[in-house]
This record gives sequence, structure tokens and C-alpha cells, in this order.
Amino acid sequence: MVTTVAIVSRGDPGYPAQLEEIADPPDRLWVRGTLPPTPAVAIVGTRRATRYGLSLAREMGRAVALAGWVVVSGLARGVDGAAHRGCLDGGGAGIAVLGCGIDIWYPPEHQRLGEELVAGEGAVVSEYPPGTRPEPWRFPARNRIISGLSAAVVVVEAAEKGGALITARLAAEQGRDVFAVPGDVHRETSLGTNLLIRDGAIPVLGAADLVEALSLILGPPRTHTDVDLPFAMPYDGATVEEVIAASGGDTAEVLQSLGRMEAEGRVRIEAGQVFIA
Amino acid sequence: MFAETTSVTMVGAEPRPVRVEAHVGGAKDVFKLSGLPDTAVREAKERVRAAVTSSSMSFPARHITVNLAPADLPKGGADYDLPIALGVLGAAGTIPARPIVALGELALDGTVRAGRGALGAAIVASRMGIPCLVADEVAPEAASVAGADVVPVRTLAEAVAVVSGEARRRSVEATRRIRPSVPDLADVRGQPLARRALEVAAAGGHHLFLHGPPGSGKSMLAQRLVGLLPTLSDEKALETACVWAAAGRIRGVDPTPPFRAPHHTASLAALIGGGTGTIVPGEISLATHGVLFLDELGEFPARSLDALRQPLEEGEVAIARRGMSVTLPAEVQLVAATNPCPCGYAGDRVQACQCSQTDIQRYRRRISGPLLDRFDLRVAVRRLTGDELQGPPGEPTAVVASRVEAARKRQTERGVLNRDLTRAQLDSQPIEPAAGQFLHRAVDRSGLTARGYDRIRRVARTLADLDEVDAIEERHVAEALALRGSW
Repeated sequence: MVTTVAIVSRGDPGYPAQLEEIADPPDRLWVRGTLPPTPAVAIVGTRRATRYGLSLAREMGRAVALAGWVVVSGLARGVDGAAHRGCLDGGGAGIAVLGCGIDIWYPPEHQRLGEELVAGEGAVVSEYPPGTRPEPWRFPARNRIISGLSAAVVVVEAAEKGGALITARLAAEQGRDVFAVPGDVHRETSLGTNLLIRDGAIPVLGAADLVEALSLILGPPRTHTDVDLPFAMPYDGATVEEVIAASGGDTAEVLQSLGRMEAEGRVRIEAGQVFIA
Repeated sequence: MFAETTSVTMVGAEPRPVRVEAHVGGAKDVFKLSGLPDTAVREAKERVRAAVTSSSMSFPARHITVNLAPADLPKGGADYDLPIALGVLGAAGTIPARPIVALGELALDGTVRAGRGALGAAIVASRMGIPCLVADEVAPEAASVAGADVVPVRTLAEAVAVVSGEARRRSVEATRRIRPSVPDLADVRGQPLARRALEVAAAGGHHLFLHGPPGSGKSMLAQRLVGLLPTLSDEKALETACVWAAAGRIRGVDPTPPFRAPHHTASLAALIGGGTGTIVPGEISLATHGVLFLDELGEFPARSLDALRQPLEEGEVAIARRGMSVTLPAEVQLVAATNPCPCGYAGDRVQACQCSQTDIQRYRRRISGPLLDRFDLRVAVRRLTGDELQGPPGEPTAVVASRVEAARKRQTERGVLNRDLTRAQLDSQPIEPAAGQFLHRAVDRSGLTARGYDRIRRVARTLADLDEVDAIEERHVAEALALRGSW
């Protein structure tokens, strides 16, 4: 794969303008791929995400991408990875900000995800020179770049302590809007996001709600032609049973339509759920 | 003097006749038993001697030799007491030597006790066209074998009187199974996808994989599959009954396909068959010609799941013990159910899942790819909402079963159940050109494996059979794609 690797320094024309706004911008960035110029939204959260958090992060990543905005995250396990994946699902450009050199894939299982981001007209960036090992103490510093590159930060799931909450705090200091997804008050991975809401973050109740809220900051989302399907989709990710119920027709006929649409690559059926591809 | 009676031994689930040859001669008071008897059989000598004297007959004080043939079949248990006693008495000239099948243990007072192999004895007797003497308790089971002349006997004295023609034989009523009420599909509300999958599974005999949260009705659906299946032919019902008899259970010749749902803590032997000494059929054989339901498939030990694969492929299970190998029928339709994740709520709209992605992946990996490959149909079952639970009853079993029967008839004419269609047979199934092109496009697009391709073709064949058309159409392929599901 041919990728461009570049170094952009402060003052260079390619240096992201938003980063100049923050208190301690990095002097230079190593960039694999291309930094998309469009407004960006950070979607972050815990590495120890639940299925709830993961599916939500992916839905939100996809919705943000479909709206024509860039998804920024940290390529970590859990919420970060799901948000990047969702961004790719929506055909959007994404930025992964690493806490190590851009020649090191960390976590290693996200190498392919990172490469897909680069291939999808996005970028993998770092303020650390190639060869820098991933060390936990570098991650908080990396987080200021995630929020710095973005107009808003969405925390999907976070415990009381952790990188996601640091990102949220930095974002608030940088004057970025902070969104948080409410969760079960007893669940550890929702404690952080619930605390953020208590302290003034904007609660978001799903992907559509997020896009609506973001449109106030970033302008109207890019309109995309609604997918035309021969059956009713109550929402993206509805179960096959729900699609059958909503379509109201003969079960066999709805299944036939689903099979055709899947064969044409227009929907994906995964563990009983139907997703618009 | 020589006399011969017949008894029976089970080789797996197959009843085999055992010749009980008795010879009485010489003046020496000896009783010898040969022909691979186990301890219980060897002790028959003492029981037979006591039972004969208790029945006011004299036991010949001469050189008695009893041989059980063929010698290479292992013989166990006390069921040979009655045929040995009748053989010895025949050889001694006390009673006429007539060809009979007899089976049962003798109490010291001459009472005939029930034997395990009564069903097998009746089968052997009906094949040989001779009467079959068994204990009262098991006579109705034996009498359920078509063409068997079953004579119930309470005591050795009664058996002697019947053989000598001195007593009238008592008649026996065959076990009449009141067809157990199989739960009806009308009880299942909503669940259009699962209902459709169940119908297709019944029509083509396809193994069915259900996944969904706890309380979504996976077990309820599985239990209703039996009602959709055609009733068993006499031959199949008899084979099933023999397996049950070999396991020491009475089923009788029942046309209802069996339904077995072993728990995941069941041992490998309980599941596949085995045991020490005589080989006892496992659940996979008890469910033969019926449904084997494995709930919480991922909780079964990997060893058990691996052991299931070959029997599923071959329709029979081979068990080797102590230099002896036995083949038992295992012609089952498998229905497996699993939660989507350890907590059970992944993908559920109401209840939040508590599992991490790693937990879910580890959970799903427990079911190996090769096993999963056996399931032509994999569908998600969803928990019903309150409204749906109050909804109208679904289509009843009888209506769906009639469609299944029509589809099965087409397969019977073709000579093979769709589940068992080989790749070569699938290649020769008529398919409309448009459907073939669509199938190839779908395969190219989704990167299906050869196995996945065959699964879709098998299900499409069944869908065409349900529609009662010869050539597979595009809509059948499309629906098969949707029913294939992913896991």
C-alpha cells in the first residue's frame, strides 16, 4: 500500500488550524495519509466498553460520517475502535491520533482498522517521532490533540477515571462542546458519562440526536439520498423480526427481499440484526 | 437327549438370536454352561435348579451341558434363566422340545421376572415365526411388535404348562401408546422468522440453530418441531423402540418422533453412548428419527460437541468397547439454542448487555466452525413485547405439518432428504437460469465458502419443495440467503 507520510509543523499551510487555538499545540505532527479539512467530531470512551457502548459508538461514528463530518478518536480498543469502524461504515474520513510513533500499530489488532482509515482518505497522526513506543503516560497528552482537532467531543462510555474523562476535561478547557451518553447509574462504565452530564455536558440520546445537536455547531449535515428498500426498516440495526413486523407482508416475501438486498450488498444481516450497508 | 430354545442378546440396538442348546446325558450330576457367559449368566445354574424344584418338578441329576451360541456374542444378565430352564427340561424329556423364544430371569420360587430385551425377543420371534415367552410385565411391550406371537408367563410352571399344551395361553394386549400431546405451534405468538425457520427445518430435515436472549422461547420452539415432522414408519418406530430397549427404557412402537433434550452437564457417554460392559445408547441414539435439542450449546464441553460431529454426518454412531465395536442409529435432526453472549442480552432492545466485546467473542468461539457448519438454518429469536404476547395465536401445527408433509413427499420421491443432499446431488437439482445467476452473484459478493454455498442450495431446494415446484427459483435462493443468518 502506498501511503504518504509527512511532517507538518506549526505555521505550515497543512497544519490544522483548530490546533493553533489550544494552549499547548504540538510543534509538529507526523501524518500517515491525509488530514481531511472538514470539521471534526471526537468520539471517545473506555477501552472496556460494553456491547451497548460499542454498538452506540459505531452507530454514532457512522452517523457522523454520513453527515459529512470527520470522526476523530484514539484507535484504542473498545469505544475508539468502534467509532472508527462506524466512520468507515458510513464511508467517511477519519483521524486516529496515536500515543506512539505512527510506524507502530497499537493495539496491534487495530492495524487493519488504521490502514483502512488511511485508505479511506483519512489519517493516522502523532506528535511523537516514529519509533516512539506506546507508553501509558503519553496517552493523556495525546488526548489534548484529539479534542484539539475536534469541534466537539462525544464521550460514549467512561468509568469515573480514565482517558476519556481527561479528554472531556481538556475539551472543556479548549472551549469545545462536550457531549455524553447517559447510562445506567449502577454501571461502572456509565459513571464517568453520567458525572459529565451532572457537571454540564450535553446529554445525547443516540446517533440521530447527536447529528441534530452537532448541526447547531457545524451547520446542516450533508444530505444523502435515503436508501430505498423494498421493506420497512424501523431503524438501522432493527432485528429481522422487527423488519418483518414493520413490513406487514408475508414472512417469506420479506425474507426474500432481505436476501436480495443482502446479496446486492445494500444491507448486512448480522446476528439477527439488519444494518443498512 | 438334546433340546434347543432361543433367546436374544442386543448388539447395540440390534436384537440377535442366541441359541440355547441343552444336552442331558451320562449319570454324573454336573451342570456346565459354555458360550461366553458373564457372571450373572453363570449363576443361572443355581437359579434354574432352585426354580425347577420349587415348581414341583425334578431337576435331572445327570450330566447337563448348556451352550449359548454363537459363542462370539457376549451375553450378560439373568434373562437367559427361562430359556435355559426350558431347554434343560426339554432335553430331559420332561416337556416336549418345541421351537420357542424365551426371555426372563427366574426367581428361586419359579416366578418369571421381567427381562430387558423383551422387545428384541419379540422381534426375533416374529422373524423366526415362533412363539415368544416373556414375563407378564413386559408382555405388552413385546406384543407391540407387529406379527409377534407373545405368550405372557408368570411362573416357570405356567411356561412349562403352555409349552406342554396343558394350559390355555393367556392373551396379551399390546401397549397402546396414547399419543402424547405434542405442544402445538398455535401457542407461539409473533416470532414470524422463527416460525418460518421451523417450518423449513421440518420440511427439509435441516439442523436448526437458534440464538436469542433468555426467555425468547427457543426451547418452546424446539419442542414444537416434533409435531411438524411426519409420523414414523413402522420400521423406524421399531428401530427407535429397540434403541430405547437397549437403554433399558420402554417406549413401545410409537409413531411419534422422539424428542430428547439432554442437559449440558450430561456426560460424553450419556450423550454419545457407551458405558462399561454392555454398550448403552446415548441421547443421540435415543433421539434417532426424531429431534435432539441441545439448549445452551456453548455450555456443552468441547469434547462432547466434537464427538457429535461424525454421528451427525453419518446418521449412526460407532462405539468401541473392550475389543467390540457396535454401531447404533443416530439419525437425528439437531436443534441447538444459545444465548448471544454470556449475560444473554446482546442485541436486546430493552435489557442492556453487560458483556465486553472480548467476552462475547470468547463465548461465540466455544461453538466451533465445523459444528456450526452443520446447521443449514441459523436464526435469531427475539423476546416478545407485551403487545405481541397478547397477540392472536399463530398458525396451528396441523396446518404447517400438512405443508411439510407435501414437501417431504417430493423428497421421498427423489429418494433423499434435502439435509443429506451431497454436492453432486445439489449440482443436478434443476434451477432457473435467473436463480442460478443470482446465486453466483451472491456467492461472489459475500465470499461464501463451498460449504456455505451448499447450505444455501439445500435450503433453497426445500423452499422450492414447500412451494411444490421442481426448479429452484430466484425467490427461493433469496430467502435461503436470509435464513442462513450469521453468528
